[in-house]
Amino acid sequence: MSNITKKVSWSSRGDELGPVGEGTPLLNGSEQPRHSRQFSEGGSLFQIDRLSTVDLEEEISAEEESARGQPKEIPHNEKLLSLKYESLDYDNSENQLFLEEERRMSFTGFRCLEISRWLICGLIGLLTGLIACFIDIVVEKLAGYKYEAIKQNIERFTEVGGLSISLILWAVLNFSFVMVGSILVAFFEPVAAGSGIPQIKCYLNGVKIPRVVRLKTLVIKVCGVICSVVGGLAVGKEGPMIHSGAVVAAGVSQGRSTTLKKDLMIFEYFRRDTEKRDFVSAGAAAGVSAAFGAPVGGVLFSLEEGASFWNQMLTWRIFFASMISTFTLNFFLSIYHNNTGDLSNPGLINFGRFESENLNYNLYEIPLFIAMGAIGGALGALFNFLNYWLTIFRIRYVHRPCLQVMEAMLVAAVTATVSFTMIYFSNDCQPLDSEHAEEYPLQLFCADGEYNSMATAFFNTPERSVRSLFHNQPGTYNPLTLGLFTITYFFLACWTYGLAVSAGVFIPSLLIGAAWGRLCGIWLASLASAGSIWADPGKYALIGAAAQLGGIVRMTLSLTVILVEATGNVTYGLPIMLVLLTAKIVGDYFQEGLYDIHIKLQSVPFLHWEAPATSHWLTTREVMSSPVTCLNRIEKVGTIVDVLSNTSTNHNGFPVVVQVSENDEPAKLCGLILRSQLIVLLKHKVFVELAGSRLTRRKLQLKDFRDAYPRFPPIQSIHVSQDERECLMDLTEFMNPTPYTVTQETSLPRVFKLFRALGLRHLVVIDDTNRVVGLVTRKDLARYHLGKHGLEELHLAQT
Amino acid sequence: MSPCGNCLIFVFFVINICAFVNCDEGTSLDSGDQVRPDSPGLPRVPSSLLADSFVPLSLMSSFPEDLEISNYCLELLSIFSQRYSDYVKCLVPAARPVRVCMKCYSGYGSLLNAYMNISSDQMGPGNESCRDSLMRSDRLMLVYVLFSNMQDLWEKSNCDFCITEKFQGVNNETTHFMKNLNQTLSCFEKYQQGNHTELCKNCKSSYKGLNELYSSMEKTLCIDVEDAMNMTRILWSKNFNCSMPRGETVPVIAVSSFMLFLPIIFYLSSFLHSEQKKRKLIHPKRMKSYSSLMNIQDKRS
Repeated sequence: MSNITKKVSWSSRGDELGPVGEGTPLLNGSEQPRHSRQFSEGGSLFQIDRLSTVDLEEEISAEEESARGQPKEIPHNEKLLSLKYESLDYDNSENQLFLEEERRMSFTGFRCLEISRWLICGLIGLLTGLIACFIDIVVEKLAGYKYEAIKQNIERFTEVGGLSISLILWAVLNFSFVMVGSILVAFFEPVAAGSGIPQIKCYLNGVKIPRVVRLKTLVIKVCGVICSVVGGLAVGKEGPMIHSGAVVAAGVSQGRSTTLKKDLMIFEYFRRDTEKRDFVSAGAAAGVSAAFGAPVGGVLFSLEEGASFWNQMLTWRIFFASMISTFTLNFFLSIYHNNTGDLSNPGLINFGRFESENLNYNLYEIPLFIAMGAIGGALGALFNFLNYWLTIFRIRYVHRPCLQVMEAMLVAAVTATVSFTMIYFSNDCQPLDSEHAEEYPLQLFCADGEYNSMATAFFNTPERSVRSLFHNQPGTYNPLTLGLFTITYFFLACWTYGLAVSAGVFIPSLLIGAAWGRLCGIWLASLASAGSIWADPGKYALIGAAAQLGGIVRMTLSLTVILVEATGNVTYGLPIMLVLLTAKIVGDYFQEGLYDIHIKLQSVPFLHWEAPATSHWLTTREVMSSPVTCLNRIEKVGTIVDVLSNTSTNHNGFPVVVQVSENDEPAKLCGLILRSQLIVLLKHKVFVELAGSRLTRRKLQLKDFRDAYPRFPPIQSIHVSQDERECLMDLTEFMNPTPYTVTQETSLPRVFKLFRALGLRHLVVIDDTNRVVGLVTRKDLARYHLGKHGLEELHLAQT
Repeated sequence: MSPCGNCLIFVFFVINICAFVNCDEGTSLDSGDQVRPDSPGLPRVPSSLLADSFVPLSLMSSFPEDLEISNYCLELLSIFSQRYSDYVKCLVPAARPVRVCMKCYSGYGSLLNAYMNISSDQMGPGNESCRDSLMRSDRLMLVYVLFSNMQDLWEKSNCDFCITEKFQGVNNETTHFMKNLNQTLSCFEKYQQGNHTELCKNCKSSYKGLNELYSSMEKTLCIDVEDAMNMTRILWSKNFNCSMPRGETVPVIAVSSFMLFLPIIFYLSSFLHSEQKKRKLIHPKRMKSYSSLMNIQDKRS
């Protein structure tokens, strides 16, 4: 294409817009695809700049006109918003049914609700802890068998020759475990891939990710994570715990499972997005706390990620769930380890205790810590950068499930190969030590009574490797081993994250960081005069781990608390905080956090804390979608069915209007009704004409809406006969009579704040006479972001 | 409170102080006695104490009857001292190569015995317990500390695992191991001269047997066995260089480079053959009358 800058005006295409009434409120007006216009291509962006307004009427090129016929296709990139994501209904619909129910409810009823909230939080903690326990035990057992088998094989072949067979055995074992896990994920539930933290972040932000909190996802997540950890990939099982906790919460709080078709008829009041969200944040907190043994960190994680909706009582309940979760895990692991009642096994990852004398730090070490934080930030940015390009490549080219499975299997095999080669060629031998008994010491070519030091890092589950890096006494690793290990593991972890397996990035980051941190410690100790032991390598390993993790995920408050809790030493609070702070500042200079990158690459309409900084000049008029599909308060069934079944405009919210006078004056806004409500109404045939016969029948209650939640049937499954199409429907009782509205002059940041703080899904834009002129939805707001060239706009795309 | 009550309390107070001071002086004296029995009469009192205190010297040289240490206890103490020095004399030469368990177990047994006599709360003649007078009278607690050092040493070296109960002798397992060890060592000695490959070949079976025996023994072993095995291993692998050579580098490199080659093929082929995923762009609907305010630039870079 040509290099000239083309200027296009939207005014020139006004004529092709449909008449008012066929608009597209939710989806920013996805017109019929054939009407779509070609604006730009190759992932280029709109830059909006009001000051350089040029008259553009005659600048529409012929080429653009001709391209109007077919929909524009571009390769996937990060500057897109997908149509498949919808908002959650966090705003309560205060319709008449709701008021009626509230009136009927007694004081004790409300007390019971409160009690059942606590009960549910307890259950969430309990079940999450049990799941964590299950994963831990199964991983330990299976990994034990695997390493034992390989170890015996290696021992046999060291003597008689043929170690390449051991290599192949190792690769095949890894390969097959990962194959199972990856097939489960790629073919049965793709949303279970990865750590799940981006998805939960989106959910708490108010985006409905399809199938993210289903039972099936949970099952596949748990099996998948076991397979990938046992398969020896450079992954951890901590991230997936957070997702698992969230699914448990979403399931328990509903008192039923749609997948299993079982309804316990309890907790019916909580079958709403608003209530469910609270429990999901409790579940995520319980997951964090089970994963790291960090109940406070879990609560803070929930607050940091979903913080726009919380209050003091909710926080307290979330804390309760986290505590229960970590102590359930604790208790059951103590039974498993045959010392029932010993509650000192708090998390899946146990950093061990940092309590020895020379693990204290001094004032002069603080600058060193900060420098390490900067290194961590830079390395983290590099990690994210590499992973970003890899993920784009994967989305574009490795999108078929069978290819994804193959890729995962290849990664597993290569991981085994690289590990084996590293161990094979390592000359670093260390004497066996009875105190820090290695789980699977490999002798290989070391002298008798010694073991290969590289093998403690590679021939082990990642959690154990982290712990041995933290706690093995100085001199256990030589610098060359650590350096090689850091480099290899860095690339392996980067390559692994984003595969179609369920696996987290926490542990690999910690491991990379611990390795180079320990290297720093060794180096510093060699600088210091002999005899002084202020630079204990274990301490620097911890700082390095924090720096690396902070550089990759860029979490702040919650990560500090999680790490402090996992080490069990509050005095490390200050250095860890400083390190994370530096890592975030340095990292943000280059690249966003890993989770944010993945959220972007999945084209999720994610609302950040604030509107883009330079957007105050944008008014609602320019942001909103217009025209809007409205419904009359008393609407013909046929019209409703037609609007709902229009596949090109998959709207979810419809302003309800009322004609004030008989003449052509535009109708005024009197409420808002959701697609889900309309579908329930159609299903129950709540028509005006049937009102007479309905007297005999039960009146429609809020319960009927809840029963259909959260999987409302599609409109195609509802049969409306030709006669019924002529009937009328009265929406007065069911619509939300007081939707939030703004005028056209409201600025974008103001609208943004409303959305973020109230968790809105639709915001009706009216003029001074209360007529509907437009509708703002999440996608209208999420598309603006601050890029290198000022304010940029994301494209909407079908994915 | 009545003045009389006050008086009473004061009297008690004075008595208590006196008792306390006496007690302190007494113990410092008799500990001096124990250490240097050849210089009686003149207890070593810190000079500061002498200068500062108003206690007359005559008071210190004679003790009340009940604080004097009995002959019985002194005897126990001297037995302990004898056995202690015997044990230490045995230990030090056994430090390298470590034979602390096998050579000195009987010494430890008798030391333990002597200590038990002192520390038991059994009453001796004259209805007195030496435990209190010998062990608990001062802050130094010399007897206790000395013994517990030895006890620590014994426990650290795990000697209980190769000595039979009641310190009768070395247990069977250890004897068996030592027999095997001697065989191996004599084999080493036989072939030590000349080429080590000869040694590696000929002593392999006996060394391997020893190694297997060692690993089949219990998890915790006494230091003697552990050290003997360590030394043998070092001899075998470092001095004689008999450990495995890194023989088959080529097949390992071949297999691993094949494995590393696979992903390259995979990514290349998926790049070339898999069709690129395209996204359909969708056009948002915006208000027509106001959109002319906007200027959309198609930035192409």
